[in-house]
Amino acid sequence: METFYNSKPVLHLLLLPCLLLYSSIAFNSSSVEAAMHTNNWAVLVCTSRFWFNYRHMANTLSLYRTVKRLGIPDERIILMLADDMACNTRNKYPAQVFNNENHRLNLYGDNVEVDYRGYEVTVENFLRVLTGRHETAVPRSKRLLSDEGSHILLYMTGHGGDEFLKFQDSEELQSHDLADAVKQMKEKHRFKELLIMVDTCQAATLFNQLQSPGVLAIGSSMKGENSYSHHLDSDVGVSVVDRFTYYTLAFFERLNIYDNASLSSLFSSYNPSWLMSTAYYRKDLYQRRLEEVPVTTFFGSVMETIHTDAAYKALSRRNSGRFEAQTSLDQSVHHSERRTPIKVNDRDETHNINPEGEGGATKCPWSTFCNKFQKAENVDSLVNYGLVAMIPFLVISTWLVR
Amino acid sequence: MAETKVKSHNDDKPKPRVRPIVRLGIFLVSHSFLVSVVCCTSGVLALFLLPVLAKNTYISENALMPGSASPMLSNQHVLDGNRLVKDLTNSNLKSSETGIGSHKIIAQYMLDLGAEVSFHKFHPQMNQFHPLHFFSSPDSGKIQENYSCSSYGINTVGIIRAPRGDGKEAIVLVTPYNALKSGFGEALSLGIAYSVFSLLTQVTWLAKDIIWLVADSQFGEYAAVAAWLREYQTPKFSSSSTLNAEMCPDINNLFEIKVHSVAGSKFSNSFRRAGTMAAALVLKVRDQSEQFEDTISIYAEASNGQMPNLDLINVVNYLAVHRQGLRVNVEKLRSLLNSSWLKSLGEFFESLAKVAKRLNPKCKFGIPATEYVEGTATLASSLYYQALGVPTGPHGAFRDYQVDAITLEISPKFSLDKVWRNDILLRGGRLIEGVIRSVNNLLEKFHQSFFLYLLTSPSKFVSVGVYMIAFALLIAPLPMVAASLYVDANSSSNCSKGDSSTPPAITDADEHGITIRSWRWLNSAKLVFIVHLWGAIVSLLPYFICQIPDCSPTTSFVIWVLLSILSLLILNTVLASPLACVKASQVKEWALVKSVTISSVFIGLGLMSVINFATAEFGALLLVPMCLLAQPLKLDVRAGTLRSFCRIICNLVLGHIAFPPAAFFLLKGMLDGFGSANVGDFWMWVESLWAWNSATYLFIGMVQLPCWVLCVSILFHSC
Repeated sequence: METFYNSKPVLHLLLLPCLLLYSSIAFNSSSVEAAMHTNNWAVLVCTSRFWFNYRHMANTLSLYRTVKRLGIPDERIILMLADDMACNTRNKYPAQVFNNENHRLNLYGDNVEVDYRGYEVTVENFLRVLTGRHETAVPRSKRLLSDEGSHILLYMTGHGGDEFLKFQDSEELQSHDLADAVKQMKEKHRFKELLIMVDTCQAATLFNQLQSPGVLAIGSSMKGENSYSHHLDSDVGVSVVDRFTYYTLAFFERLNIYDNASLSSLFSSYNPSWLMSTAYYRKDLYQRRLEEVPVTTFFGSVMETIHTDAAYKALSRRNSGRFEAQTSLDQSVHHSERRTPIKVNDRDETHNINPEGEGGATKCPWSTFCNKFQKAENVDSLVNYGLVAMIPFLVISTWLVR
Repeated sequence: MAETKVKSHNDDKPKPRVRPIVRLGIFLVSHSFLVSVVCCTSGVLALFLLPVLAKNTYISENALMPGSASPMLSNQHVLDGNRLVKDLTNSNLKSSETGIGSHKIIAQYMLDLGAEVSFHKFHPQMNQFHPLHFFSSPDSGKIQENYSCSSYGINTVGIIRAPRGDGKEAIVLVTPYNALKSGFGEALSLGIAYSVFSLLTQVTWLAKDIIWLVADSQFGEYAAVAAWLREYQTPKFSSSSTLNAEMCPDINNLFEIKVHSVAGSKFSNSFRRAGTMAAALVLKVRDQSEQFEDTISIYAEASNGQMPNLDLINVVNYLAVHRQGLRVNVEKLRSLLNSSWLKSLGEFFESLAKVAKRLNPKCKFGIPATEYVEGTATLASSLYYQALGVPTGPHGAFRDYQVDAITLEISPKFSLDKVWRNDILLRGGRLIEGVIRSVNNLLEKFHQSFFLYLLTSPSKFVSVGVYMIAFALLIAPLPMVAASLYVDANSSSNCSKGDSSTPPAITDADEHGITIRSWRWLNSAKLVFIVHLWGAIVSLLPYFICQIPDCSPTTSFVIWVLLSILSLLILNTVLASPLACVKASQVKEWALVKSVTISSVFIGLGLMSVINFATAEFGALLLVPMCLLAQPLKLDVRAGTLRSFCRIICNLVLGHIAFPPAAFFLLKGMLDGFGSANVGDFWMWVESLWAWNSATYLFIGMVQLPCWVLCVSILFHSC
């Protein structure tokens, strides 16, 4: 009776090191995973309506085409267009939108999925998309379902001013609102890196209030400067593209998905005399060096591919996690809790392994321990393992003493 | 409540501290002479400064984007237009006596393009004086059954529906055309409109429907457009017009148009409508011209000095000057162009600007003297036509329905060869196309730019905020002088009555006397009221006079004058003859009368400035000096100083000038020369004023004439 009574805590005590070991490993792995790039999203916003703002819609659609070409699928692009220029009665070319007067490229082809259109493009909806606070009825295709490993491109164009951007000629998004939304996104682990690109007058002022780490921002003009349209299409009768966007597109037209051009090469490609304004980028919140970051980090969907030996073995947790993450992207639509696929996987595995630990207690953790020990990745884990290893001795010694 | 509080507060303190604003008021009133001299001179000076202060026009509405699209009107369309011109001139040669033939040709051309075509028959409504119709919206018109078949006009209307538009808005293009005796200019204007119309049937960018109205101008351009607009805006539900049509064989003949099977085209007997009118353009081509280059004149003034939105003029000006290379003209008073005093004034301003620039290099003030003279001439004509309150063209009819409209008159440099004709068709057509495309881009009504402005050149304007200053300065002395006169009249009679009674010990009787004296102005007010009542009667008299058949203008005028005098005498006797009622005690009766007169003039001018600024400005220029200077001649004669002598002369001159007929003849003489002046002219002028429902007529009848009578009565006051 007494022995039994004693043996139960002993059993517990025996299990404890295993659990601790696991938890430490799991914790380690997940913290490493958090910093890992999982997917790419793009939120493209055209905020102004009316026929004479044709160019803003053309800007947005051009960007849409570019990021799609560079590999971000439609399901991960939130496209907000405040007006329908293609079907405007004043459009000489019904159902077509051009961003160049040569009319070589119809931006409004077959595969344009507009998520928010017309009067749906409001400050409220925009902030809801960013922060993910939707009403329950909003379909998944209209949500930004990013996770803590996501790289997000946020492109906005319209009419703006000192620390604000007009929406629909009726309301405005202030720099505080934007900064607040980004902060909320950070807190909710909705992105890893965020590039905010704004083409509007005095665009730089819109970034003044940003505080969240991992945010890179570029605007078409400094405070007190206007952003100008690039050229007028005298056939359609409106300006068709803004300068900043035009030169951004010109930069990307030379690239394909395999190119390695860095963000700094994009940013330095803006010539103030061409733009007639000074492109401003804010990088103090961004940790990585722009020279080392390829533009496809934001404008494309290029994943780091990691070769694994055994897909279904749980030996190398890190690799398997990475592998899972990568496959999960493709099936992501079917997951309900896709926001943290890695965590889910980890939890599954711990659940799977726990009964195993209860049955044949020693093998698996021991080998893992050995692996980890051999790798000796960092001192912290080594110390942890040492401490854990001391516990059995402690337990045995106390048991022997009794 | 607050007032009683203040009062009790005042009672507590025998010498309350006066607030600064009140002290300022008292100061101004006590120095009213100086103030009025300064204000009036600066007001007149500010008026002459307006051309210098004019700003450049700019396109205020973003949506318009004039000239951003390249014109699509090609030579093919020009050839189409030319074909119509040829057909029309040929049909003229064949001379169909009713002009039905040319209407048919136009309708056939429209049908061939695929437009909706309809005829609108109308009977010209004689403009009659309706005393109660001022400022009221135009009614649907009385349906009179006794029209004969001979007196009708036929408007041909073609409508293009915007292929993808919602059909809620429309742009109107009007070409006046007199089928009976059309000049080459009218045919050419039809050719231009047709070439644009044929283009617009093909384009895909229309957001608004296009209405082309060929207005039958045999009863005047305005009447035809007004009749069509009346029908368009206020439909009348009666069958009289169709009955008429059946009775008159000519019109029946008209409807036998063979309809080709062009897709979309339909001919309908009923009145066709499109959406709300966004803007209207009236296109004319002048027959003979001696210009050295192709010019285009813009006429914008509608009834009562209303102007279309400045953006419309800007768009036309921009497209004409920068795209089609036409010279743009607005009306000028030619007589002012050669006046030497204006030139010297311009030179003075120019040198002043140079001095200012030397003192402060940033100062951007001043224009060259020649530009100043031109600006003043344009401004004067702008003021003149606004003050007249008579529309300067058929566009005026649109303004009555709050539709922005202007008349464009192209006067080509004259030559008869075909190349020139094609050139003017191409350029005129492209201008119209550009304006239509620009207005087509518009999302709302014209609202961004100014409605209240005066033009000093096609690309320069003076906005309401600037020109009101001149007017405000001019009438600012009126209330001050009225107040000071009132105070003077009261205090002087006080002093004359009781010097012995000291203020602290006022007896009941004295207090009673003061109250009576302080209400004495009512007597003068009664006089002023009676004279104004008389003014109203005088302005109603023409309604009865014009009922008299076979009356020449001169006799009408004489009758009017006689009746006016008679009515004044009757009123004078019936209402206790206040003019003669002068008691010995009321020494300064005239001062009170003057005070009340000035107040009433101030109110009248202020009201008029809201209705029609230009009229009020002209009125103020005449009335303000007269009111301020008016003083009994006897007093001045008695004084016998140089100053009073000057005042007598001024009073006499102003007393003559400010009499409305005299002012009219003076103005007419200045503009046309005195040789042609005739007494009946004034009657005709007045007739035209009331025919156009001009508020200027009311102003003359109910403000200027009574004021003149009162001032004259003050001049001849026996004191």
